Amino acid sequence: MSDASRRANDSFAWDVWVNFKRWTLKAVRNPFVLVVSLAQPIIFLVLFTQVFGGVATGAINRGGGAAISYETYLVPAIAIQVSLAAAVTSGIGLVEDIEEGSFEKILVSPMHRSGVFLGKSTAELLRIAAQIAIILGLGTLLGAEISGGVAGGLAIVGIGVLFSLWFMGLSNIIAVTTRDQESTIIASNVLQFPLLFLSTGFLPLEALPDWVQAVATVNPVTYGIDAARAVMLGRDTMTVIEVTQFTGIWNTLVPALVVLAVLDLVLGGIAVYLIGRASSSDVA
Amino acid sequence: MSERESRYAIDARGVEVTYGDGTEAVRGVDLRIPEGEFFGFLGANGAGKTTTIKTLVTLLSATGGEISINGHDVDESPRAVRQTVGYMAQETAIDTDLTARENIQFACEAYGVSGDARAERIDELLDLVELADVQDKTADGFSGGMKKRLDAATALVHEPPLVFLDEPTTGLDPKARNRLWDYFERINEQGTTLFLTTQYLEEADQLCDRLSLIRDGRIVATGSPDELKSQVGGQRLDIDVDAADPEPAVAVAREFFGTDATIEPTDDGLGVTAESARERGTDLLVALRDADIAVTGFNIRAPTLDDVFLAITDDDDSLDGGNAGEPASAGATDAEGGR
Repeated sequence: MSDASRRANDSFAWDVWVNFKRWTLKAVRNPFVLVVSLAQPIIFLVLFTQVFGGVATGAINRGGGAAISYETYLVPAIAIQVSLAAAVTSGIGLVEDIEEGSFEKILVSPMHRSGVFLGKSTAELLRIAAQIAIILGLGTLLGAEISGGVAGGLAIVGIGVLFSLWFMGLSNIIAVTTRDQESTIIASNVLQFPLLFLSTGFLPLEALPDWVQAVATVNPVTYGIDAARAVMLGRDTMTVIEVTQFTGIWNTLVPALVVLAVLDLVLGGIAVYLIGRASSSDVA
Repeated sequence: MSERESRYAIDARGVEVTYGDGTEAVRGVDLRIPEGEFFGFLGANGAGKTTTIKTLVTLLSATGGEISINGHDVDESPRAVRQTVGYMAQETAIDTDLTARENIQFACEAYGVSGDARAERIDELLDLVELADVQDKTADGFSGGMKKRLDAATALVHEPPLVFLDEPTTGLDPKARNRLWDYFERINEQGTTLFLTTQYLEEADQLCDRLSLIRDGRIVATGSPDELKSQVGGQRLDIDVDAADPEPAVAVAREFFGTDATIEPTDDGLGVTAESARERGTDLLVALRDADIAVTGFNIRAPTLDDVFLAITDDDDSLDGGNAGEPASAGATDAEGGR
């Protein structure tokens, strides 16, 4: 028998890598999930631009400035929608692992527990980045213009990834609380539509009814979309908080990214705490 | 391995597990399993088998007692414990998105099997569990038996000196079960200590060197299968009689054997358990005929673990004294001892 008390690879980074590989492989094995989570945003992108393009263009250009197409206006919202839809799968993956027993199997292995979850999250963030990039490419083909070019596109991907973290956290919180796959899927999906529509995603704030404006102001989706849109259009687009200390798009980006980062930390922190409690060996 | 001073693979004393809702799942279990032993842990559903096993593999913390696994304390160095044990849970746990090979590969990586040895180890395990020909197929198409075997392989990647098997053959057909038994016996012959929980007494009888029976969170008997069987006392004689009421036959048998036997009515007649059941069985049949009771069938056999199990789980009084009989000399609640 070999000396079983020593691991050949006993580093935290190795555990992150091993789990990153596992979840990436699982994603590749399930191209269906990848496609389906992109399908709805793509349908939205095409239908909305075709159906509402004519009426909406007036509303979005009411504020003056250089006229923009509805495609250009909508693509950042769709990017954030992709981010939402893809983040849901994080909790679903966790529930699947719990239900299939893989979760327990991993807990009984000598891997560093935080490395396990960091590896899984990294794989999911990479997938979200790839999906947003696909949407940006598709939007460009449909006539949307990204003001910063490729750099602007990368910035939007980055904003989408930052945005996804809080919803990933939320879906994991639901997952570890319900420990049931169907509940996790339903709860996450039910949240998605109100979050999207009660935001500045499809129309400017001032074009929305008062109560929707009120909700949109406290809706995290608004901050994600405003940040992505500021980069897309190359101008200050934030309408929920007036910030003027910075210049140009930074008047949008700074407050939006701060709000998202705080939200990520809070929800991510709760998720990490709950997963940690679920995996700790205490008899609770 | 300087830390390993004891020759016990498992050294657990006074283990108690009380759940948050107040359920006392394990109430003072002592286990001392020498290295290389094939140990069976028997009990009904809810007796505390799985809770005990989860506590031993660091998935649960004991609320009382001390546990040392392969010389490592479970509270002080849980990662060292995890590195030196293999654990096959009751529910099959494999990733059905991945192929058989990828499942074993992930387990190798999780246990840090070094890169050079990895490919060879994977091939070896695929051969061992006879999945080499389907190694590149995803596991979702596998039968229950194949999944179990794959699960077993992933628990063995790091050649752990101690393997926990929690009801490993539940739900398998006899053929698949026999195959798994073969693997377990093979790795035990190679020196691996095995800790098996099971509800199949036949399984424990065939595989295990020594057994403990757990009931309501307490160990109620410990010994080799033969020792436990001899505690039941002698041979078992089942007699079928052609009568709706077996009582007259039971009365005849009671008079015949006096206090030397345990006699109970059964569905078809009566059962006699006695040291002299084999020698005096024929005379009893004659006595029954003389009493005008028609015997339609009879069967004499050595006691099985089922008899042990029933005797112990049916009979409260015999437990509370803590005396499970002569062979388990260390006392009924202490699983100490070698083979």
